[in-house]
Parts: sequence; C-alpha cells; structure tokens
Amino acid sequence: MNNSPDHGPLLAALRAAVEARAAVPAAFIEAGRGAYAWHDIDAELARLSYDSLLDAGQAAAMRSEDAPVRALTFQSASFSIEVEVTEDALFGQLIPPRPGTAELQTRSGPSVTVRIDDVGCFTFGPRPDGPFRLRCRTGAQAEVRTAWVDVTRGDDPR
Amino acid sequence: MRDDPSVVALVTRAAGSDEGAWHELVERYAPLVWSICVRYRLGGADTEDVGQTVWLGLVEQLNSEKLREPAALPGWLATTTQRECLRVLRARGRYEVFGAVPEDGAAARDADTTAADATVIEEEILLAERNALLRAALAALPESDQRLIALLLRDPPLSYAEIGELLGMPPGSIGPTRQRCLRRLSRSPLLAGLSDLAPPETGAGPGGGAPRAGPPGSPGTGLSRTGMSGTGAEAVRVTVKGGRPRE
Repeated sequence: MNNSPDHGPLLAALRAAVEARAAVPAAFIEAGRGAYAWHDIDAELARLSYDSLLDAGQAAAMRSEDAPVRALTFQSASFSIEVEVTEDALFGQLIPPRPGTAELQTRSGPSVTVRIDDVGCFTFGPRPDGPFRLRCRTGAQAEVRTAWVDVTRGDDPR
Repeated sequence: MRDDPSVVALVTRAAGSDEGAWHELVERYAPLVWSICVRYRLGGADTEDVGQTVWLGLVEQLNSEKLREPAALPGWLATTTQRECLRVLRARGRYEVFGAVPEDGAAARDADTTAADATVIEEEILLAERNALLRAALAALPESDQRLIALLLRDPPLSYAEIGELLGMPPGSIGPTRQRCLRRLSRSPLLAGLSDLAPPETGAGPGGGAPRAGPPGSPGTGLSRTGMSGTGAEAVRVTVKGGRPRE
C-alpha cells in the first residue's frame, strides 16, 4: 500500500540495508569497539619463556586428575610475569613486584582490569576460556604486555 | 565504501588514536563480518570468536600500507572473516558444509577457498557495500525525513493515518512528503553507483516498471562490474587465487 511504484525498489533496498544492520547484535558491535582498547599501546612485549605443558614431567602431571594447573612465564627486558591457570582462575605475579593494574583481554568479551597488589600478585576469575593476553601497568613509567596464549588448546593461536 | 576516500580517512584516523573513527569503522563493517559468519552457519559463540579475532587483527593492521587504498578494507575484512570461519568449521569437522574438505591440511591451508567460498566473499562484499551506502545516504537526510522513512519501512506496514498520527502530520500530507523524501534520497551522490536504484524520470507516472532488487537470498547488488576496478573485489581475487574452480 505504501509502496508507490516509482520508489518501490528504493524502499525495498533501504529495508534490506536497515535490516542487515539490525541483524547484528549489540554485543557483536560492542566487542568490535572494544578491540580498540589495546591499540597502539606503548607496552613492552613479554614473550612466553616457559610453559608447563611443554615440560614433559609437568605435562604428565597435568594429565593426572589432581594437578590441573598450567604454569606460564612471560619474560620482557624489565619484567617477568608468572602465571598459573587453574580450573577456576588465573593467578599472576609481576616480578620484580610493583603495584598497579593488570588487564586481561580475551576474544569473547571486553577486557577485565584488576589490581596488582604490593607483592605483584593479581587474580582473574573465572579463568579465560580461550585465547587471552595480559597487560600490566605499574604507574606511568612501566607497562608490559604478553603475547596471545591459549591454555585451552596448548598452543599459540597466532 | 566503494571509492570513498572517507574509508581511508577513517582508517588513518583510527591508526592515530581517534577512537570515534574506529567506532565508525566497526559500525559500518560489522554487518559484513556478521553476514559472512551467517553464511557459514556459525553458532553464537563461534561468531563472537571470529568477530573478536577479526577486529583485533584489524587493530593490528591499522598502520599497514595495504589498508591505504579505499577498497582494501572490506576485502581484508571479508577474507579474514572467511579464513576465521573456515578455521572454526575445520576445528568442528564441518567444512564439508561449504566445500571440499582439504585432504592435506598443511598444503591445503592457503588453497582452501573453493570457488564457492570465493563467491560468498564477493557477494557479501558487494551487498555490504551497497547496504552501507544506503544507510549512509539515509543518515545524511534531515532527521524528520529519516523518521518518516523509518515508519515507511515498518513491517507490517503502517497506514498513512497511523504515520500521520505518529509524526503529528495530516495524513494527506504523508504521500507527497514521502515522495519528496525518497526523491531526495534517490538523488544522493552516495547512491550514484547503484544502477538498479536510479532515480525515476522526472514526471514519470505510476508505471511500476522499475526492476526490483534481486529476490531474497540472492542479493542483487546493483553494482556494475565495470565500476569495480581497483576495489575490494579485485583485492579479493588476489587473496583467493589459490582457490580452484571446481568445474
């Protein structure tokens, strides 16, 4: 009724365009916006220097029921970050210890930020369920971030 | 957007530290990423995973030279989304939904885009560009015109009396106002490349002869192939060259 013949195709095309945008959930857009959070950060990159899964003895231990802990060490020029991932949480310690904030980024939601206490410890719970990376900020002077790791697959997804 | 320098401008601004430009890129292209995930029938969690990977990847690519051409971004987004979709499907052993299962994973990794996959990409890029242009043209209209068009797009359709009531306009004025809005929209330079939506001849009567856009599910893009040189589709052709037509 409203589709007058001359602009029918235009209205149909507009409807398709508006519906295509409306079909995208807000959370999907939000995740896309949030991806910018780590853009262009001037943080030192800490590389994975130890992974318990790659250590034969630990790997055997991991298969046993009572030791579901994955231990990782990230190393940069000025810091190392010790990480333990259990079934429930991710525990980290910045060495040398500095208070500040730690940020956990995953691929399935916004970043989460927690406090790093005076002995360099921080906790994220629940544990990341997929690839993640960490960024530690200790005041204005120092910032360090890790590469992506995935403790659910045992390899670097990149 | 096709030959739209503002995409390059947005990328350049986002590569600086202009978060607003990044938001605009996401707003414009999220439907492209989303629709490709839909084409590959990914579930909700997988789609989130793919989306996040694509956007994080784009953040890392913002300074790259290859995104300095207007059409490079949609091509990059589409091929990256597709690659991630295929990765997820491969992990689920579901790739046969769309094409042949690569027999040797390592060798096939870069050649796993079949002709069908390449078609998906081209269609989705053209459709997403078309829709983005239409939304941009709509957004460029005065707010009162946008409100009217939004009501005209309601499904099920509203009567002119209902629209008039919602807008506080006499029902008799809706028809002429509608004509004026749509005429203005159809002359938007943003829509100049959409041949199937060319403005009707001035004074054309109600003939109803204008061809409709393609049927649902088979997107008529209205973008002519000749207008595509140096654009996303070309970039795509380069990136999927490992694919072999199956016939």
